[in-house]
Amino acid sequence: MKIIMDGNEVAATSGQTILEVARANGVRIPTLCHNDALEPAAMCRLCTVEVDEGRGPRLVTACNYPLRRDAQVFTNSERVRAGRKLIIEMLYTRCRGSELLEELGREYGADFTRFAPNDKQCIMCGLCARVCERVGGKTLTLSGRGVEITVATAFDRASEFCIACGACARICPVQTIKMIDEDGERRILVQGREASRVKLIECVSCGKRFGPVLDLKEINERAGDSKVPPPNQGVCPECSRRNLAARMAERHFEQFETGEEG
Amino acid sequence: MAASEPATEIICQEPEVDFMLLDRIINEDFGGNRETMIMMMQAIQHEYRFLPEPALRYLSQSIGVPLTKIYEVATFYASFSLIPKGKHILQICTGTACHLRGSHRMVEHMIEKMSVSPGGTTEDMKLTLEVVNCVGACAVAPVVVEDEKYYPKADISTLDKFIERINAE
Ligand code: SF4
Ligand code: FES
Ligand code: FES
Repeated sequence: MKIIMDGNEVAATSGQTILEVARANGVRIPTLCHNDALEPAAMCRLCTVEVDEGRGPRLVTACNYPLRRDAQVFTNSERVRAGRKLIIEMLYTRCRGSELLEELGREYGADFTRFAPNDKQCIMCGLCARVCERVGGKTLTLSGRGVEITVATAFDRASEFCIACGACARICPVQTIKMIDEDGERRILVQGREASRVKLIECVSCGKRFGPVLDLKEINERAGDSKVPPPNQGVCPECSRRNLAARMAERHFEQFETGEEG
Repeated sequence: MAASEPATEIICQEPEVDFMLLDRIINEDFGGNRETMIMMMQAIQHEYRFLPEPALRYLSQSIGVPLTKIYEVATFYASFSLIPKGKHILQICTGTACHLRGSHRMVEHMIEKMSVSPGGTTEDMKLTLEVVNCVGACAVAPVVVEDEKYYPKADISTLDKFIERINAE
């Protein structure tokens, strides 16, 4: 398999996506809905490139297009750049003020006055829902379809399944999801609406609140080994490190006590 | 699981859900096979004329599909409804062919006559008005569908007869 990317022959194995090949060879393709830890969903279309597998150039999304035969790939052609410019302009109407989009806009010469704003503070990348399904409590989903897609919990109510891990808040490229620890509780807000509210544990040693009160059984099960004893839920990680260090020092280093004179 | 109080309690009168009936649908009719989830949901909707939340929770438990996923499917397909629908359902096609033959005038007529908006249900729960895309009978446009019965070349008088019939009930 011979892959020519932007005029240079690059190393690739059959089945690798265009994005993987590009990254391995130092070619940058912008993405918004891609995360290496998650299955590609090709929601944002920003990674669109031109590919010619002998039947003329076609536009495909690099993040989920596997290369299986000889191909020429153009990651930054005129047509590709024009497409990306349009995508950025349209996404910006939904997400005014997003720094990430503004930066991309500068790169591709986007005209942000071209379309009327329709602010939804969400680019429908679906990362939050996908990461929630993968590592979280399967709390968030994309409800509806087409441009009406919104990030929602089941029945649009605060969810009972959330484990308050905050992965959604972390992954959102436009900071639409917020995780707030306040008054002994952690809240996950999606566009200002409460998706979940979970109590935080107070450390018995220092009194600091440090993590959500969780059903560890299920989490340990998911982690794969139900025999692993649950960590001490009452003490925060800092205190347990400090306490352990103190105990070790007591046990093993007594003999080195110098017994100062005077 | 994490204890959390629902932020906004939605209070609505939902029909009592019959779990024996759900069991029959889920386990007998479809062998509890999660791949047939959409068909199970259709059967549930057929019984209640919408998808009651307790029924979906039960479905989730029974076939081991996260409630969130079921909710996603329910909101994706226009044919599923999470709110109760009226006894009768009138669908007016506003696909291209029907639109060109003036189906929007029929929609306006219904809005005016029954004071119901597209997608909405009359207060007495007798009628739900739905505006749908091409129902696949463009040759006889405009088409209306009353309770799954197709009326080709429909016009205002077709609707008036329908209104008369349901008012007489
Ligand atoms: S809320 Fe953020 S992560 Fe979720 S779909 Fe919207 S933009 Fe993507
Ligand atoms: S990164 Fe490929 S479609 Fe979003
Ligand atoms: S457009 Fe109405 S049936 Fe096709």
